[in-house]
Amino acid sequence: MIVEDWDQLTFRVNREAYRSAEIFTRERGWVWTHTWLYLGHETEIPNPNDFKVRTLGGRPLIFCRDTAGEVHAFLNSCPHRGTVLCRESEGSTRLFQCFYHAWTFRNNGDLAAIPDADAYESTDEFKASMGLRGVPRLEIHEGYVFVAFDPDVPPLLEHLGDAADYMTMIEQQHVGGMTTLPGTQQYSVRGNWKLAVENAMDGYHFAPTHNTFVGYLRESGFAVTDDNQYAYNLGNGHGLLVLTGHGGRISMIWEPRFGEDERVRTEQHRAEMAERLGEKRAHYVADESHILFVFPNLLLFDIEGLSIRQLEPVAPDQTDVRAWQLVPRNEDPAARALRMKTVVSFVGPGGLATPDDIEAYEAVQRGIQATADTAVPELDYSDMSRGMADEVKGVQGRSTDEGAMRGFWRHWIEAVGLDDGLAVHGDRPASFLEGRDVR
Amino acid sequence: MTAITNTHTVQCQGRTITRPEVEDFLYGEADILDHWDYDGWLALFEPGARYEIPTTDYRPGWSPHETGSFVDDDWDLILARVKRLKSRKAHAENPHSRTHRLVSNVRLSEHTEDSFRVSASFVVHRARDGHFDAYVGWYEHVLVPTEDGLRFRLRRSILGHESLAAGARLSFIL
Ligand code: FES
Ligand SMILES: [Fe+2]
Repeated sequence: MIVEDWDQLTFRVNREAYRSAEIFTRERGWVWTHTWLYLGHETEIPNPNDFKVRTLGGRPLIFCRDTAGEVHAFLNSCPHRGTVLCRESEGSTRLFQCFYHAWTFRNNGDLAAIPDADAYESTDEFKASMGLRGVPRLEIHEGYVFVAFDPDVPPLLEHLGDAADYMTMIEQQHVGGMTTLPGTQQYSVRGNWKLAVENAMDGYHFAPTHNTFVGYLRESGFAVTDDNQYAYNLGNGHGLLVLTGHGGRISMIWEPRFGEDERVRTEQHRAEMAERLGEKRAHYVADESHILFVFPNLLLFDIEGLSIRQLEPVAPDQTDVRAWQLVPRNEDPAARALRMKTVVSFVGPGGLATPDDIEAYEAVQRGIQATADTAVPELDYSDMSRGMADEVKGVQGRSTDEGAMRGFWRHWIEAVGLDDGLAVHGDRPASFLEGRDVR
Repeated sequence: MTAITNTHTVQCQGRTITRPEVEDFLYGEADILDHWDYDGWLALFEPGARYEIPTTDYRPGWSPHETGSFVDDDWDLILARVKRLKSRKAHAENPHSRTHRLVSNVRLSEHTEDSFRVSASFVVHRARDGHFDAYVGWYEHVLVPTEDGLRFRLRRSILGHESLAAGARLSFIL
C-alpha cells in the first residue's frame, strides 16, 4: 500500500487507499473504532441540559451536558429496540423520550420511566441495564471533547502527544479563553477524507491553487512569502504546518486590510500576552500561524482567525465536513466583526480559497480512476517524496514539503492494521520525527 | 423584522415601487448571473453594499458579525470575489458551472426612508463535473431605488438545506 524508499528517496501511496470500499470498511472498523475521535468543543453546549446530535464514524451520538453540568456522549439509539432517540439536531432538555414506546431517560443516561413497567421483571438491575449507552471513553483537553468507542485506548494526552500543547497555545491566546460560535459550516465533499488531511498539510499547493487569494492579499498591501515556513511531523499521525509568510492574524499580526483601530488593539494585545505568557511563549502563540492536524478527524486552522474543522468519512469518495469558528470569549465587537469577515473570506465552502482546495481534492478523486485496475500496477501510486532529501540531511522540513503527510500515512497504515502495508527500503533517518520546543 | 405589510407596492424615497418592478430586477439579475456577466452583476449594487450567505443552521436574528457564515462580504470582498471569478485562476469555477435560476414568491416589505426589503424564493440548478446539484432557499435583500433603477444594499441568500450537499460548495454566486 505504501512504499518508502530511502535509497531512491521516494514515498509512494497506492491510490486504492482513496478508492477502495474494502479499505473504507477497514478504516471504520479499525481507525474510527479504536482511536480517539474529536467529538466537539465544550463551549458548543455551555449550559446544563444543552445538547447537540452528531455522527462520528457513522454512529449517531448525543453530545450533551447533564443537569449537574457534566459532559456526556451517548449512543443516539434507544436501549429498548434501537430507535434514534433524539431527532432534533440541538436544543436543551432534561429528558430524552423515545417516541416509539415512550421510554424516557435523564440527560445523565439514567432510565427515568418505562410505560407499563409492571410487565417487566422490575429489578434494579434491569433498570440499570437499560440506561443510555455512553461511549466507553470521553476525555477533554482545553475544551476539545474526544471520545473513543474502545475502552482500551491510551489516555487522551498520550494520544495527543506534541499536538496537545498547540491546542493549549490556542486557549492561551486570550486571557478569558476561547469559545465556539453558532453558525456551523456543514458541507460535504466528493473526495476521500484523507485527501482533505493531505490538502491541509500541504504548503506546496498554496501559491498555484490559491493564486486568486494571494492576489487579493497582495492588493490589500500584504507581502506573501514562502520563507521560514515549516512542516512538522508530531508523531501518532498528527502534523503541523508553521506559517509565517502569508496573511495577518486578527489581534496577533496586523496587516493593512485590518485598519487602524485593529492596529492599536493588536499592539495592546501583544503587550498583554508578553506580560502574561513571557516573550518566548507569546512569540510562538502570536507571531506564526499554525495548521494542526490531530489524527484522524480534527483540523485546527489557527491562521487569520481560528477554525475547527471535523472530518466524517461517509464513503470512500465522500466526506462530511463540519467547521466552527473559535473566538476569544470577550472580544471587542468591532474586532469580532472583522474576525468573522476575515475568517470566512478565506476558510469555508463560500470563501475565496477553500473552494479551490475542495476542487483540488475532488479532482484527485476523479483523476485517480485513470490508473485503477491498470495493466501496469506501478502507475497506480501517488508520490509524496518532496523533502525526503532534506530529511536525510537532517534539515527541518519546509511547509512546501510533504513530510507531515508522510507522518500521517505511516501512522494510518499502522492504524488500519494492514499487515505488510508499508514497505521500507534503505535506512530511515532517525531524526525526522522531532517536534519543536515552544514551551 | 416586522410582518410583511403590503405585497404589491412599497413607498420609498417618495416613489411607489411595484412588485413587477422588483420582479424584473430579480429576473434580470438571475439572467446576468446565469450568463456569467460579473461586471453586469456588480453594476446592480450600490457602492458599500454587502453580500451574505448564513450557514444552514441559521436562525432568524443571527448577525453574520457574531456567528459563522458561508459568505460575509463587505464591499471590498465583493470586488475581490468578482475579480476572482473573472480570473482563469478561480480553479473551483474553471471551467464555469452552468447554472439556471428560478426566482419566485417575491414579496416587498418593511421600508425606511431610502430602502426597502424584498423576500423571494430561489431554486438554482447547477451542472458541473458530471453532477447536477440543486440549491433551494430564499432571498432577504435590502434594495434602494436610484435614478438608474433598483440597486442592492444587502444581498442575502439563505439556504433551505440541512447542510450543503456533496459537491455543493458555494464557489459561484448563489
Ligand atoms: S424503541 Fe425506544 S422505547 Fe421502544
Ligand atoms: Fe489550500
